[in-house]
Amino acid sequence: MFIEIIEVIISGLLNGSVYALMAIGLALVYGVTKAFNFAYGSFYTMGGYFAWTLLVSLGVKGGYYTVFLTAIPFLFVVGFFLEKVLISPLRKRSDWQMKAMMLTLGLSLFLDIGYIATFGPRLKSLPDIVEGTIDIGPFAFMNQDIVIFILSITGLLCFAWVLNNTRVGMAVQAVAQNPIGAQIVGIPKDRVFAATFAISTIMVGIGGILLSQKNFVNPQASTGIMIKAWVITAFGGMGSIKGSLYAALIIGMLEAFVGYYLGMIHIEVAVLTLLLITLAFRPQGLMGRE
Amino acid sequence: MMLNIENLNAYYGQAHVLKDVSISVNKGEVVVMLGPNGHGKSTLLKSICGMVNSKRGRISYKDQDIIKLPSEKIVNMGITYIAENRELFPYMSVVENLKLGAYSKNARKHEKKNMEKVFSLFPRLAERKKQYASTMSGGEAKMLAIARGLMSNADFLAIDEPALGLQPNLRVEVARIIKEINKQGKTILVVEQNIPQITDLADKLYVLEEGHITFEGSKDDALDNDNLKEIFLGM
Amino acid sequence: MNTKSMVTILGVTYGFIGILPLFIGDSSILMRILTMILIWSVVASCWDLIMGYAGIFSFGQVAFYVIGAYSSAILSVSLGVSPILSIFLAGIITAAIGVIIGLPCLKLAGPYIALVTFAFQLALEPFLKGPLGKAIGSGGSRGIISVPPIHFFGMNFSSSELVPFFYFAFVLTLICSAVIVVILKSHWGTAFLALKDSEDFAASLGVSAFKYKLLVFGITSFITGLFGAIYVHYVGILSTRMLSMEVFTVLLIMIVVGGIGQYPGVVLGAVFTVTANELLRPMGIYRLLIMGGLVVVVVLLLPDGVTGLIKKISDLRLRKKERHPVEMRGSGEMKESGETQGSTL
Repeated sequence: MFIEIIEVIISGLLNGSVYALMAIGLALVYGVTKAFNFAYGSFYTMGGYFAWTLLVSLGVKGGYYTVFLTAIPFLFVVGFFLEKVLISPLRKRSDWQMKAMMLTLGLSLFLDIGYIATFGPRLKSLPDIVEGTIDIGPFAFMNQDIVIFILSITGLLCFAWVLNNTRVGMAVQAVAQNPIGAQIVGIPKDRVFAATFAISTIMVGIGGILLSQKNFVNPQASTGIMIKAWVITAFGGMGSIKGSLYAALIIGMLEAFVGYYLGMIHIEVAVLTLLLITLAFRPQGLMGRE
Repeated sequence: MMLNIENLNAYYGQAHVLKDVSISVNKGEVVVMLGPNGHGKSTLLKSICGMVNSKRGRISYKDQDIIKLPSEKIVNMGITYIAENRELFPYMSVVENLKLGAYSKNARKHEKKNMEKVFSLFPRLAERKKQYASTMSGGEAKMLAIARGLMSNADFLAIDEPALGLQPNLRVEVARIIKEINKQGKTILVVEQNIPQITDLADKLYVLEEGHITFEGSKDDALDNDNLKEIFLGM
Repeated sequence: MNTKSMVTILGVTYGFIGILPLFIGDSSILMRILTMILIWSVVASCWDLIMGYAGIFSFGQVAFYVIGAYSSAILSVSLGVSPILSIFLAGIITAAIGVIIGLPCLKLAGPYIALVTFAFQLALEPFLKGPLGKAIGSGGSRGIISVPPIHFFGMNFSSSELVPFFYFAFVLTLICSAVIVVILKSHWGTAFLALKDSEDFAASLGVSAFKYKLLVFGITSFITGLFGAIYVHYVGILSTRMLSMEVFTVLLIMIVVGGIGQYPGVVLGAVFTVTANELLRPMGIYRLLIMGGLVVVVVLLLPDGVTGLIKKISDLRLRKKERHPVEMRGSGEMKESGETQGSTL
């Protein structure tokens, strides 16, 4: 009984850490650009297919090292240019937010169907990043889980460091807090928007590489992931990075417990119920401002 | 001539806000622009700083046409806008706000020196380095906005209603600071609704009404002008 | 758009669709397309009313359509209610659910509304497939087969009687379009426009955003549920496949192509989209690829859809006629981001 609970907590923590990586990316984009990216989940899948292409299809040397080293610049470029080409021109209009939602929804369908057209409808499996298990006391951990956990936490720490200690990070925060102020001090706002979009693409894409090892690369996973990241962001408070972190861990735990004790099919309803109750009492989410 | 504007027209949506505005500011001058609220004064400053998108005419700064440049380039050339409603970064400390003030390439080199200067000019801010901008009083926030503008190492400051909504003693303080900055070599274009202490600093006055420049001249010219008497009755 | 040109465009479009069965009534493929154009044009119009006019970022439109379909199917199959009655009950049930969803939702900020309504749609599928759905007669993942056709005056209206069903749907379409026009041109429509410009301004006029939004949410949910219901009696079978992203996106394209908040542009959008969707069907999976790409391209190049394009062309003509130099910068097209628009001039 005790061991079961600990195992459920650990699995919640594991999922929660990857969710945090993805949800924080979304919170960042919303906080800075105020655009709702409906294609967010499709970049998760993109990460999965990228890893699959390198590891399985091409069989590159260096395994996951090569994957991560190439995925980060690849996803950055994809995100940067998509923002420049697709979102940025919309910003001139007063109703651009709705237009951006529609556009990214279309983009999401385009990408998801594009994956099926390119890679076929079947699920693809990624090799485990490391094999084997390790025993600690009465618990048996999969090495893969530990590595995934460490990598997503590392990703989060890198992100936090960039945000708080670099000029780019400060510029990103400045635009999020006051876009006009940012313009006054000479921050190139448009470039910050694109860079933010690109960073979030990296975060969700890496999330895709990490979680697809356990859940397969699935061309239909995008919507679910997008909603999950979105629910977490809304739950934590749109645009609040700290809120997203806590929300991701809470939702990871909730999923693990509901899935274990009530069954997997109840997870979605439970998460949605939690969100609705939260929004009913705190429309701005857990840690949203105002 | 440091800044020269010829036939500037600017628009907000359907509204034609500035109509053939021409002004010039010489190096080292304090130029004060007066005029009623909502007649285009802020738009003029924002146009200079690249923050109004739909405009035509000529704006040249140090003999370079800058009307088409984005705001970040203009900041880097040494023009800074100090907003009437401050536009600070609310969840950042005083020091962080100031550091961001020195974001542009040219300002970065002088960050340290300017930070010291700013703290000696505004001792109150030096006492509150760690405080969040959102928790400051109106007067302190105003000082921080001016200080942040100085961090950009600009030669030309476009200051928007610096004394609006301030207590009389703080107005005197703002006027003193503008005078001090000017003495240190900055050229200043300041927009006001006629705050005597600031109008008094002017080397040259303009009046902007309904998007047109309706008066240009020195303080003495203004006092001789019957049409302006009304405006200056408050002095 | 003024009432006259709105009614003219609607009249011409629906008039043309209305006489087509006289010529193509024998072709079951064409009749099916024509019928779907009617149904989707109304559902998409309701969505446009919510998103484009009332400014509610609701993404629950497909869910309401499906709720209407399931309600009427369950009522007629499990409880033996006559379909002609059950379709209206379905409309009422959908409206009630719409109001229940709207009550908490409409107080939220735009993105939250989109999220909650979209999540509502996503949660509907597991609900209908799960034990709760089965308990109310949803048929689980198998869905409901053999939904009876609508039957009155001794006539059957179903997919085996294409022309009668078409005219049945046609009459309902005209009625619902009239309701939409009346809403847009009434005090409400004015209130929506005021709300769109500025919620503060509208509040100062005494317009209660919440009340109007809830009302319009209820009415559009009713119409959407009604059309979901007639659809299910028309095709006779129902499953949760209706909740797929594909249906959602196709509906979205109608609005995007027609121009959001440009009623009756969305009706033209429905004509185009349903037709294009059918024409592309032989292309298999590439159909959806094209549809997705289409949304992206149209939003970028024609932000106000065909209606915007038509307006632009007629504006240009007018200008040429007048031989009058019009200040281009003064028009709404100019480059301007909301953020640089300071409140003080």
